[in-house]
Amino acid sequence: MNFDLTEEQQLLEDSVARFVADKYPLEARRKLAEGERGYAEEQWQAFAELGWLAVPFSEEDGGIGGGPVEAMVVMEQFGRGLVLEPYLPTVILGGGVLRRTLTGERRGELLGRLIEGRLQLAFAHGEEQARWDLNDVVSSAREDGDGWVINGHKTVVYNGGNADLLIVSARTSGGQMDTDGLSLFLVDPKTDGVKVRGYPTVDGLRAAEVTLKDVRVDGSDLLGAAGEAWPVIEAVADDAVLALCAEALGGLDIMVKDTVQYTQERQQFGHPMSDFQTVQHRLVEMFMEYEQCKSLVYRATMEYAQNGHEAARTLSACKHLIGTAGKFIGETAVQLHGGMGVTEELRLGHFFKRQLVIESQFGNADFHLEKFAA
Amino acid sequence: MDIELSADDLKFREEVREFLDSHAHKPGDDYAKWRLDWFQAAREKGGWDVPKWPQKFGGPGWSPTQHYIWEQETARANLPWDLPFGVGMVAPIIMSYGNEEQQERFLPDIRARTVNWCQGYSEPGAGSDLASLKTKAELSDDGKHYVVNGSKIWTTMAHIADWIFCLTRTDASGKKQEGITFLLFPMKQDGIEVKPIITLGGSHTVNTVHFTDVKVPVENRIGEEGKGWTYAKGLLAHERTGLAGVSRSLVALEKLKHQATTVKRGNGTLLEDPSFRSKLARLEVDLQALEFTELRSLARAASGQQPGPESSILKLKGTEIQQRIAHLTMEAAGPHMAPWGGVEAGPKFARGGTQSYLGSRAYTIYGGASEVQKDIIAKNVLGIRTQGGSN
Repeated sequence: MNFDLTEEQQLLEDSVARFVADKYPLEARRKLAEGERGYAEEQWQAFAELGWLAVPFSEEDGGIGGGPVEAMVVMEQFGRGLVLEPYLPTVILGGGVLRRTLTGERRGELLGRLIEGRLQLAFAHGEEQARWDLNDVVSSAREDGDGWVINGHKTVVYNGGNADLLIVSARTSGGQMDTDGLSLFLVDPKTDGVKVRGYPTVDGLRAAEVTLKDVRVDGSDLLGAAGEAWPVIEAVADDAVLALCAEALGGLDIMVKDTVQYTQERQQFGHPMSDFQTVQHRLVEMFMEYEQCKSLVYRATMEYAQNGHEAARTLSACKHLIGTAGKFIGETAVQLHGGMGVTEELRLGHFFKRQLVIESQFGNADFHLEKFAA
Repeated sequence: MDIELSADDLKFREEVREFLDSHAHKPGDDYAKWRLDWFQAAREKGGWDVPKWPQKFGGPGWSPTQHYIWEQETARANLPWDLPFGVGMVAPIIMSYGNEEQQERFLPDIRARTVNWCQGYSEPGAGSDLASLKTKAELSDDGKHYVVNGSKIWTTMAHIADWIFCLTRTDASGKKQEGITFLLFPMKQDGIEVKPIITLGGSHTVNTVHFTDVKVPVENRIGEEGKGWTYAKGLLAHERTGLAGVSRSLVALEKLKHQATTVKRGNGTLLEDPSFRSKLARLEVDLQALEFTELRSLARAASGQQPGPESSILKLKGTEIQQRIAHLTMEAAGPHMAPWGGVEAGPKFARGGTQSYLGSRAYTIYGGASEVQKDIIAKNVLGIRTQGGSN
């Protein structure tokens, strides 16, 4: 039993932590979020140079062969800075699909571009009626000569507006809720019939509504075998759940520590607020919840590294706890900060908003508790 | 025990419904004109524009039950906008502690909704501990005016307000609750700077307000110098009914139930989702209880008794329930809680739901944070005496 990072993992953590400390003070983040792309292109290039974009890819693909532990390390540190660069959509989700499906020359080309920082991706999977049911897909693709014609609407597609290529799921056979019959396609957003409507999200990120009307793609744009995308979709969703939990963990630590500090500085009734026992006990409860989250993020990461999808139940446990603890820690932190907690001026509020959005991605606390109990 | 409304109460309810129906805003009505007409029509009903004002000042003199019926009926209606600071907050203080000249000078404009007020209470260093406020008011040598210097924070709508009612410190030598003076002055004058504070919902409603040598004539002082704390506390005691927002919460819960039927979940709707359903049900249980907590409090007031211990929990429980409804509404939106700024994505009710939730976090902070409310209940209701703490 060993919970220590390896030397390489420690170096990775240190380098991401330095970047966050350097580039992500609140004011710098605000400027980025308001800019045209919502993140900094030169920072994305820095990610490439530092090798962070190569983390989950095998050495044959030009990557560094990292697994869930490396992903956790990166995402936790990103969570501490509310990093805006689209690492989850492009590297974890998009890259996750490509490395599990592409073959031959195209694999080399696209993974090469991704690792070099010259390819932005978005996973256009969610649909309005699906909520978080990954198998609930009504978008459809039918074979047409040597290609496919896709129709459908994909909702809240993170990084959709900035993506060079979309990865679109569509049903090639089966009924609305069937796991069989799902297929994944690479779609250039500039193709006729594709409409991408981008917008900001609550937490300063970017997402888009993507509609596809009679969109024609080549046979070579089908990723993997027709109708057999389910295991791939499940696998990238597992990756994403873990990544989001690690990111959330980084943010929770900041919220707990900021509140411990604030209540010691803020004087009311002639005392620092932290003198009041009711405040102390709530700080301790926040801290306890955080430590429990940390344990479950470690557990989920290690089990997932060892057993892959068989660890799905622990991943659900983790996302559930992150959701409930995130709500408790976030709301308590805001309450103890008083009026300041509900302003845009302190970083606390921005961390709170990110926690709320994480809860809405890939299943909320109830959704995952149900999966866990099933 | 009897929970039936009397025949008179039922008749009153019909009358209220009829009034709200016949004066509802219709598409095409000019809003500003409709708003002032509405208040005028309500006034002609016999003080319905100022339900809580005493009859002496033009109020309707309703029984507590009638107030309750009014709350219930208006929670469903689309009433014209009205800030609480004039009619609801400064007016009762002017009525109780102002002189006749001040009452004649200020009350008519307040009632007509032609002058907007804001409340200068909290300061950067005085939030929950309001009595430690430091904004200084010094009497001029000739005794004709005060000179005000200092800062207020969280001042709602200060950027559109014409007047402010302000707690100032005229004496720092004694207990902090003493030496506080209640002043009224215009906002649009030299020496007053209003800066916006953007809240998490992304909106601008609160501000910081800085005073530099603002001259306030002594005629604008309410009551005696140094007694402002007593007057401000009197205001807090003034509001009894509607404190818990039960009627509004019941309406919001009904709306949420309907919204949940429009969200698909598996083969059914979100309303059939067991965990969502049980959270909704739990909210409804709490609201059913709170509705009767409020009625118990009303019944007591109706028979002329002092408010009982039950009335002390109305704000705490009421705001907690409002926050839970806001949270569940955001949760119902699922992935569509994220799109920001009125973007069209997902169900219509999702738009603005997250903003409402974020806004609701302040319910347990402003007007006396919940922690302070609990301290007060511990002391005044449970009779606990301690050495430390905020009381």
